[in-house]
Amino acid sequence: MIGQPYLIDVDWGDLVQAVITAVISFAVLLVSVMLMVWFERKVVSRLQNRIGPNQAGPFGLLQTLFDGTKLFFKEDLIPAEADRFVFKLAPYLALVPAFLMFTIIPVAGDFSNGHDGSVMVGGEKMFFQVIDPPVGILFFLAMSALGVYGIMLAGWSSGSKYPLIGSVRASAQVISYEAALGLALASVLLVTGTLSTNGIVQAQSGGFTSWALVTTGFVPFVIFVIAGTAELNRPPFDLVEAEQEIVGGFHTEYSSIRFALFFLAEFMNVVTMSAIFVTLFLGGPAPAWDFPWIDLPLPGALMGFIWFFGKLLIFLFMFVWFRATLPRLRYDQLMDLGWKVLIPLALGWLLVLAGIRVAQDNNIGLADTAFGDTLIILVIGLAGLAAGAGLLAAAIKNARNEASAVALPTSGIVGMED
Amino acid sequence: MSQYLPALALLILAALFAALSFVGSRLLAPRNPTVPKEAPYECGIIPGREPPQRFPVRFYLVAMIFIVFDIEIIFLYPYVLVYRELALAGLVAIAIFAALVFESFVYLISKGALDWGPPSTARQIDPSLVSAERTASTTIRKVGLEGRLPHNEVAA
Repeated sequence: MIGQPYLIDVDWGDLVQAVITAVISFAVLLVSVMLMVWFERKVVSRLQNRIGPNQAGPFGLLQTLFDGTKLFFKEDLIPAEADRFVFKLAPYLALVPAFLMFTIIPVAGDFSNGHDGSVMVGGEKMFFQVIDPPVGILFFLAMSALGVYGIMLAGWSSGSKYPLIGSVRASAQVISYEAALGLALASVLLVTGTLSTNGIVQAQSGGFTSWALVTTGFVPFVIFVIAGTAELNRPPFDLVEAEQEIVGGFHTEYSSIRFALFFLAEFMNVVTMSAIFVTLFLGGPAPAWDFPWIDLPLPGALMGFIWFFGKLLIFLFMFVWFRATLPRLRYDQLMDLGWKVLIPLALGWLLVLAGIRVAQDNNIGLADTAFGDTLIILVIGLAGLAAGAGLLAAAIKNARNEASAVALPTSGIVGMED
Repeated sequence: MSQYLPALALLILAALFAALSFVGSRLLAPRNPTVPKEAPYECGIIPGREPPQRFPVRFYLVAMIFIVFDIEIIFLYPYVLVYRELALAGLVAIAIFAALVFESFVYLISKGALDWGPPSTARQIDPSLVSAERTASTTIRKVGLEGRLPHNEVAA
């Protein structure tokens, strides 16, 4: 009797292809992180009227590599009070999701002459992304949520107070902004109609005006960029590692290569988040416009990569610019911005957008024409937004009144009443 | 499932990379731990207090309110993918659903569930603090001179 020889039937061709893809993307990610760290240090230096790293390699390009190598030779300490297993596990939990998050990004593609971004390799249709699951965006959300565990467990297992405070701050901050992030993302899904990143890029391949940045009406983009910056714990939302208050935050107790892996994961997330911005709102590797007057002798896929890289640089520079320019928020300001501004705005905007699009392509019979329908829905939607904003303002005012009624005796000054 | 193979390969590669880094660090790094080195970090002094066992309840509140919104998002994602087919009925349904969630959210806000820090309106400036009576000589107390001889007497 011949049974099933293996539980999973392995196709060796697929396996070899998978390993090659993984190795290439692994190398590309590591190099891009190395360059990103260099880029950040160089740009911040210039913005602060300094020179920045310029000794290691041409233009100091190898500085990150040297720093990383140095960390191998540093003593690796585990604090006496630490939970040793979790303490050692946490860097893995931070690093692995950071790698996996990048797999759904389409990094190049042939969009010339109405191509759909695919390239024929050896008679097989290929897309320039590691995996293209039909639930790509959910995969991204899952991985970005998993990354929090690394930070949370790192802080908790250190057995020290500053890392603990840092990690509790981090988890509260990240879940607060994840709601805003998810709601702003829903607007993109609304206009593109798919969860696959490849599909999202294809829906935006019709030039500048088809980008979700334009079709969702700019507001979700702004919300997404703010929430994305907060998700990354980048300045001005870097309360997680606010040096003046809590030393180094969750990685205070980490030294040597363990620290390096957290650092690596952090910068990899910066690159990935920028790529997510590009994919969701700027059409990924799809060109902003065609050049009918120039016939570049480049293969279409390479043009796709050039477009992608150019758009990516905008956001990478933006993150560095934020860091050099904006002062850090206070914790109450951070929470107020996330909960009382971004979340209600993203929700309201999504509903208005859905209403307008339903009115545009269905005969809902409020008016004689589709345009009339759209106008009526728009008026109702804006009235709803205004009512919601009014309600929210009243609630905030009420909370403030109640708090000041119970809080303090009126005689003294805060901090002086002994 | 074979389309997820590259991601699985990358997962293994990343874990291997981290593991090999630890091995490398173990081979190359010096190891002479001492008690002060392994003590929990405190800016150069002996830690006076243990890490807190309890945390402000606001952090838990944030987590609970987040779950409400997370569930709303879970329901919104399928809706935004099929809203064309659902047309007006779907729009009305999702608007009612969003209004219900928003209403409870407004209640939470009005009860101060998401307020952090001291209330800013309770701050009143004491008028005596901004008077012309306050000068450098009246508000600064010189310390460390008690019991010490004046400078000229030491010289003599």
